[in-house]
Amino acid sequence: MNVAFKQDQVYRGDYTFRNSPTAIRRFPMPFPEDRYMYSVNIEPHMGGPEGSVIEFPIDCDEHYVEECRERAIVIDNDPLRIQALPHMMSAQWDTLELGMQSLSQSYPDKFTLTRNGRNWHWINRPLELDQKFIFGEPKSLPYEPLEYITRQLQGDWVIMDQRDNDLWVEGGMVTGPADWSMDFDMGMSFKEWHGPVPLGHEMGVFDRALKFLLNLRLNEPVRRYNWTMTVNANLDSSPHNYPDWGPDRATVTMDNVAKKLHLRTELQGLWRLPRSNGIVFMVRTYMLSLGDIATVPKWARRVHRVLRDLHPALVDYKGLTRHRPTAVAWLSQFDDGSPTTPGIAPE
Amino acid sequence: MLITGIRSKPVYAPLQPDLAGRYHVMVGHGVGAAPLARLLGELISAAPAALAHTRIWYVRDPASPQSNADAFRAAHVAELRTFDRVDPLLADLTAAMDQALMGTRLYVAGPESFMGLIMRIAHEFNLAGDEVRAEECGTMARRVHCIHCRAIIEGVRTNIVECGCKRWLVVRDHYSRRLAAYMGVMVDAEAPGERPDVKEVFL
Amino acid sequence: MSAGHADHADTIPVRVVAIDEVTPQIRRFTLEPIAGGELPAFSGGSHIIVVMRGAQRVYRNPYSLMSSPHDLGNYQISVLRVDPSRGGSAHMHEQVRVGSEIEIAHPVNLFALAKLARKHLLLAGGIGITPFMAQLHDLRAGNVPYELHYATRSPAHGAYCGLLSSTEPSCVSLYHDSNKHFIDIEGLLGRQPLGTHVYVCGPAGMITRVLDTAHALGWPDSHVHYEKFAAPPTGDAFDATLLRSGIEVHVQPDQSLLEAIEAAGVDAPYLCRGGVCGFCRTEVVSLDGELVHNDHFLSDEEKASGKVIMPCVSRAHCRKLVLDL
Repeated sequence: MNVAFKQDQVYRGDYTFRNSPTAIRRFPMPFPEDRYMYSVNIEPHMGGPEGSVIEFPIDCDEHYVEECRERAIVIDNDPLRIQALPHMMSAQWDTLELGMQSLSQSYPDKFTLTRNGRNWHWINRPLELDQKFIFGEPKSLPYEPLEYITRQLQGDWVIMDQRDNDLWVEGGMVTGPADWSMDFDMGMSFKEWHGPVPLGHEMGVFDRALKFLLNLRLNEPVRRYNWTMTVNANLDSSPHNYPDWGPDRATVTMDNVAKKLHLRTELQGLWRLPRSNGIVFMVRTYMLSLGDIATVPKWARRVHRVLRDLHPALVDYKGLTRHRPTAVAWLSQFDDGSPTTPGIAPE
Repeated sequence: MLITGIRSKPVYAPLQPDLAGRYHVMVGHGVGAAPLARLLGELISAAPAALAHTRIWYVRDPASPQSNADAFRAAHVAELRTFDRVDPLLADLTAAMDQALMGTRLYVAGPESFMGLIMRIAHEFNLAGDEVRAEECGTMARRVHCIHCRAIIEGVRTNIVECGCKRWLVVRDHYSRRLAAYMGVMVDAEAPGERPDVKEVFL
Repeated sequence: MSAGHADHADTIPVRVVAIDEVTPQIRRFTLEPIAGGELPAFSGGSHIIVVMRGAQRVYRNPYSLMSSPHDLGNYQISVLRVDPSRGGSAHMHEQVRVGSEIEIAHPVNLFALAKLARKHLLLAGGIGITPFMAQLHDLRAGNVPYELHYATRSPAHGAYCGLLSSTEPSCVSLYHDSNKHFIDIEGLLGRQPLGTHVYVCGPAGMITRVLDTAHALGWPDSHVHYEKFAAPPTGDAFDATLLRSGIEVHVQPDQSLLEAIEAAGVDAPYLCRGGVCGFCRTEVVSLDGELVHNDHFLSDEEKASGKVIMPCVSRAHCRKLVLDL
């Protein structure tokens, strides 16, 4: 079996995805308390503790190379995962600048950006790329700017236009979604693409979030967390290939749940873009198996309680119906009822 | 896996004249004739002079008996263009919009699948929400976009439908204006063969 | 939900490297970053808040960026000397010199070009030309038709008229009050194709005329954009109490409530400082008197309720006013 084939099996097929102890400790646990409900949990995205996933604006972790490889496979199979409407070209360039600026400042040993007026020189050592190009000139790059940079970024990226007191999803690279389709949602307004989310509308969550985002300022990015669960380390759980990953939901048993079932946290970042005045939305996904969660006693108790008491509408919407009972049953062995400290840090 | 109670489908309302508009373009399909006639009546009583700036595009639906343009003919609008098929109406309307001026209001009445096509023309001309009004009538049958093979299935009246790619799809309450269709997702991926009974729900 | 920074801690220190007297009343300032390198990229229509620390008070005035978004070595703004001035523009004209160091906030755009427009119609009056100067660079590079109609008092007062007519002869029309040559607003707005967006920036009266005419001719609000440069209205002095900090604030006649709060050392949230964006919305805890709403954000019900106020432009006639700050 050659190396290239092996590299393709991380997020599919054999699912060779594994988290090192470092990755486990820095996993962004999405539950600061023992129960979960939606909120507009937006906070400034201006750094965090050393070694954490929020230390830098765009996190580059141990899965970087294999995740970029996975992205390339998905696009190969379905080119419509990367799209941008014609009027979003300046937003594409804005996103390219953000990605290159951020990675080169945060990880100078891995990435280098040299700017000389509009002549830019980009070096990506992990992916062995060395690219000279003219900023603003699409033909000077092998792909359009959004595709070019997001092929080198972890997480999904969506670019939005701001007009009519609303935000419109009009471009993006989405190869690792939690059951939504950018192709289908292209052109939708903020509340339209959040349409399928239950309860949120009645709670006014989307009204407040939209109002806040319309006033998002340059140089003041924000973030929030979202979560779901995935059977196997399957990043690309889009509606398109649901026939492929859907059946896995019914294969979870007490014997394999620790290995198969993954908690999936989305670290969502939002930046105002300078030239387009749009907004770019990063959905960065971290996965942790139930077995790995159980190595941190506080997390085992917390996740047990959150899943056990989750609102039925959320259970249904997040696709947890089939395997939640097994997950709760398996986690219960770690829950002796003792209190958990607030916040996500392990005790 | 049928997700119900989710809110993202478009909201329609009975057509009312927008008196702030200067030019009125009314578009109807089949039984949309009735709402348009009512709209016309309201416009005439509120602002009779508006008739001179009102134009109507209408396509008959052979399947529906109330499908006729007689109500409009009597009204002496600036222009009345009737069609027997949708495509020529779309082309003709597009050409007219190319010459239209700011201050135009667009009103559409008909089944949702027809309205979706008109909305795409409206978007092409950058008409915003406050320039367009739509009333759904006639069949509630849905245009469905199979999220797996990307085919479009017209006139879906049932809760689940079999796609050309041989998958049975549940029709989600998630609508794309760009595709003018609802999302259809495989209904029995998790438990092959386990499907709800087929029921007529979009009549 | 944490609302983010109230004060913009991250201002950019810049140095004035050139001052040009464009007309007797208008000066153009060229600003370069003290740290060297480039200034942040921005979209045409953006403005910056210029922070000037005067002897008596701190001025925070918004000015449109008029330089090209493609040339980030410096920013250029034009300042109209307003008489009587609350001090900001007078300070810029009298105290700020070549070599002066001031701070600016990151650009904010509340007047952006509509990306899906099929045509752009730009209407400028006097100093209102400034945001359009930046936008013209983007419009020229694109392929959407546009027209600029620019009215000034007279050719002598016409900032940048020469520059505009030489670079854009077919797209620019100039009008001078002194020649009794006025923009035919009704004629223009009455003959635009579907998908046209109109943008107006200039004196309050001009903006009102354009908005009223557009509405009368059936233009939807979504296609009408305006930017006002009005300073916050002055009024009687009044006092306010800030509930959370317990601080008493005295608002001078020529000072806005927001400025008085800032002068008292409290960081109240703000964004546009012009009563349009809603960001500074503050709850009124108790009121004995009446509020004077000067904003364009609150609904009529909200204004009548007496429970909320926009401190950047609104005031009060009152014996007592307690704010949730």
